[in-house]
Order: sequence, then C-alpha cells, then structure tokens
Amino acid sequence: MEPLPGMAGVGSRETLDRIRRVFIESLHLNLNAEDLAYSDKLDEVAALDSVAVLEFVAALEKEFEITLEPEMLTLEVVRDLQHLAAYIDERSAQRPPPPENQA
Amino acid sequence: MRTPEAVPTAAPAASPQPRATLPLFTANDLLWLVYFYPVCWLAKILPRSLLYAIGKLVDPIVQFHLHDRKEKVVPWIAEACGVTAGRAREIARRSLTNNLFGTLDDLLLLRPSPETMLCCQGVEGRHHLESAIARGKGVILLVGHFFASRITLRYLAKIGYGTLSVRNCQPSNAAEGRLGRRFVRARRSEVQQRVLPDHVFIQDSECTLKIMRRLRAGGLAVIQMDGRAGTNPLEYSFLRKRRHLASGIFEIVRLSDCAVLPMLCLGRGDGFRIRFEPALEIVPSTSREAFVCANLPQFAAVLERHIIANPEEWRLWNPYLAWRV
Repeated sequence: MEPLPGMAGVGSRETLDRIRRVFIESLHLNLNAEDLAYSDKLDEVAALDSVAVLEFVAALEKEFEITLEPEMLTLEVVRDLQHLAAYIDERSAQRPPPPENQA
Repeated sequence: MRTPEAVPTAAPAASPQPRATLPLFTANDLLWLVYFYPVCWLAKILPRSLLYAIGKLVDPIVQFHLHDRKEKVVPWIAEACGVTAGRAREIARRSLTNNLFGTLDDLLLLRPSPETMLCCQGVEGRHHLESAIARGKGVILLVGHFFASRITLRYLAKIGYGTLSVRNCQPSNAAEGRLGRRFVRARRSEVQQRVLPDHVFIQDSECTLKIMRRLRAGGLAVIQMDGRAGTNPLEYSFLRKRRHLASGIFEIVRLSDCAVLPMLCLGRGDGFRIRFEPALEIVPSTSREAFVCANLPQFAAVLERHIIANPEEWRLWNPYLAWRV
C-alpha cells in the first residue's frame, strides 16, 4: 500500500481501536468495532455522505484533542483507518505536554 | 429551544423521467442549444451593450414562451411579498427579464478577463467582512439565489476576496428532452465550471471537507441555502411555503465555528452593488438537531427579508421560470 502524503506506518493498535469506536459512535452505525477490520476502507463499510465525513472528522478531533491540518481534510486520508491512525499518533506525539508536566 | 417547524426529511428521491418517455427535443432544449453555442460564441466578441440589446429583443419571446409558468407563480409571489396579483405579475415578469440578463452575464464571465467588465457601483459594509475574516475561522457568506451572485463572486475574487462557491451540477430540468439530456447537460456543466472556477459541487463526496479546508485557512465560502439540494434537506416554511432547505451549512457552521455574514447583491454586470451585513449571532449547541432548531429561523429570516425587499432579483420563484445555467 502506498503511504499517503505526510504519513507513514499504520498507527498503534490502541489508536486504531479508538478510531473504530469513534467512527461507529459518531455515525450511529449498527456495527460492532470488531466488524471493522483495520485494513477496511471506512467508506466501503458504511455509506458516507459529505456531511457524515465531516461529523466523523469532528468526532475524531474531539476524541484525540487534535486539529487535522487542512491538507489532511480529504476523503482519501479520512477513509483509510491505518493511515489515519498513523497520522493521529504522529499529531498526538507533537502535542505539547499538559501544563503540570511542564513544571 | 426547539422550533418544531424545522423538520429534517429524507432527501427528495431523484426521479428523472425515464428516457423512453422523453420527447426527442423540447423548446427548452432548443433555447439552451442556441444559448450555449451561437450566443456563447457571439458573447466572446460582442460588446456588452450589444449583447444586452440582443437580450432586450429576445425578452418578449421568452416572456411569451413562459407565460403560463409566470401565471403559476403569481399567487405565491403575492402571498409571500404581501402584494396584489397585478404587482406579483409584474415581479414575475421582471424576474424573468433579470434572469435573461443574468444568463448573458454568465456568458460575459466566460471571457478571458471578465472582471474588467464588471461595473460595481458600491460595496457597503465592507468592515463587517473584514471583521469576520479577522476572527480567523473563516467566513460563510449567506446569500440567496439572486441573479447578481455570480458576478459578485467574480468581482470579490478580483478585489482579493476569493470565495469558494457551492453548486449543484445537476439542477432539475423538467422541460428537458432527449436532445437536452444528451447535449445540454454536459455543456451546462462545462459552462458552470468556467463561470465560477472556484467551486465545489454538492455531489462531490468531499464537498464539506473542501469547504472546511477553505474555512480553516481563514477563507470565504458562499452557500445558498435557499436552494432545494442537499443530502439531508430540512422542511421549513420559507416565504409562506413549505420548502426543502439545505442543511449542510448548519453542520459546517457548528463544527467550524466560522462567522456567518449575510450578503446582498443586486443588479447586473453593467451596474451592481454589494452589501455586507453584521455577522449573525450564532447560537452554539453540541447537537446537530438543536443547532439547526436554534439557528435556522434567523438564517431563513435574513434571506426572506432580502427576497421580499428585492423580489424581482430572486431566481427561485419557480424552478421552471428560472432559465438558468
């Protein structure tokens, strides 16, 4: 699989699981997390209209407390569970530590 | 707060007439073909004044051709605007004339440097636009389907306010024959893209993501929520008629926290004006439904106010009356 721009690897298992859960909850899908394979393309698992994609992105940003960079707001990035997890791990690692740890 | 009037509904089923039942061609198809080919070629070389003169000559023919449809829309105009039937008939007539000149303006926008031909007579409330941009979260321009909206967007781009427009690449056309379906649709789509190059189609699966990208970059997008299209339309009483309004704008506003700025644009290429109004006070909410209920009435009220004050400038009194690109 060709890595998408700005991303490498497949992300941690914990992140993958959290993304699966967010995907199912934010779109109110009648699925179990286990029904989603890590290699699945999300838009092949559920019918994603344009607004649903946005809902999913917003839920992801809330869950991981990150903001996706504008160039990452593409369906190609958002639909790919593994690359999405890798990107989120990368972004989370860049996040500054909480204030109490900085002291 | 709950507004029971706003009811999310299933998307209206697309039920195009089966090909076999369509006539080979309709008068509508022929008008479009004349518009898209000979008139379009002429528009590349003719001065605007001459093009408008042709428009004046053609106007009585178009008025005659669409006479029955004008009559159908008169009761609604009269009720929505609170005017007499005679005045409503005059509004329908002028709306159709403006529509004709709007389509000629579209052709002017196909020229290599059309911005130089656009005569803006004034931009009012520009400080509202600057303030909204200064928030840094992007701006959605809330505007109705007015005839001047396309020339306005091209003019705004010229003066440094490039705006992403959201469009429907498959507008309904009940008066279409097989010839129209075969030749006119593709040509219309091509012209659409050239008239407003900075656009995204609502049929694009990345539509909202593209709008979000623009907003996050601090840019501008325009959404005409009085159109019927959208994947999750809201049924709402608009201009005293139950209509399906686009709902995507609310989700984008809720999730992006962008500013929403009402904009009114009136006139035609040889003289138009733009007015920006203060940004709307958005009522925040974590839930999609509550956000719509809290904000839809004020969004719709702005558009109704603009339309009732300038009814002959609104394109959508009757989708069949709207002879548009």
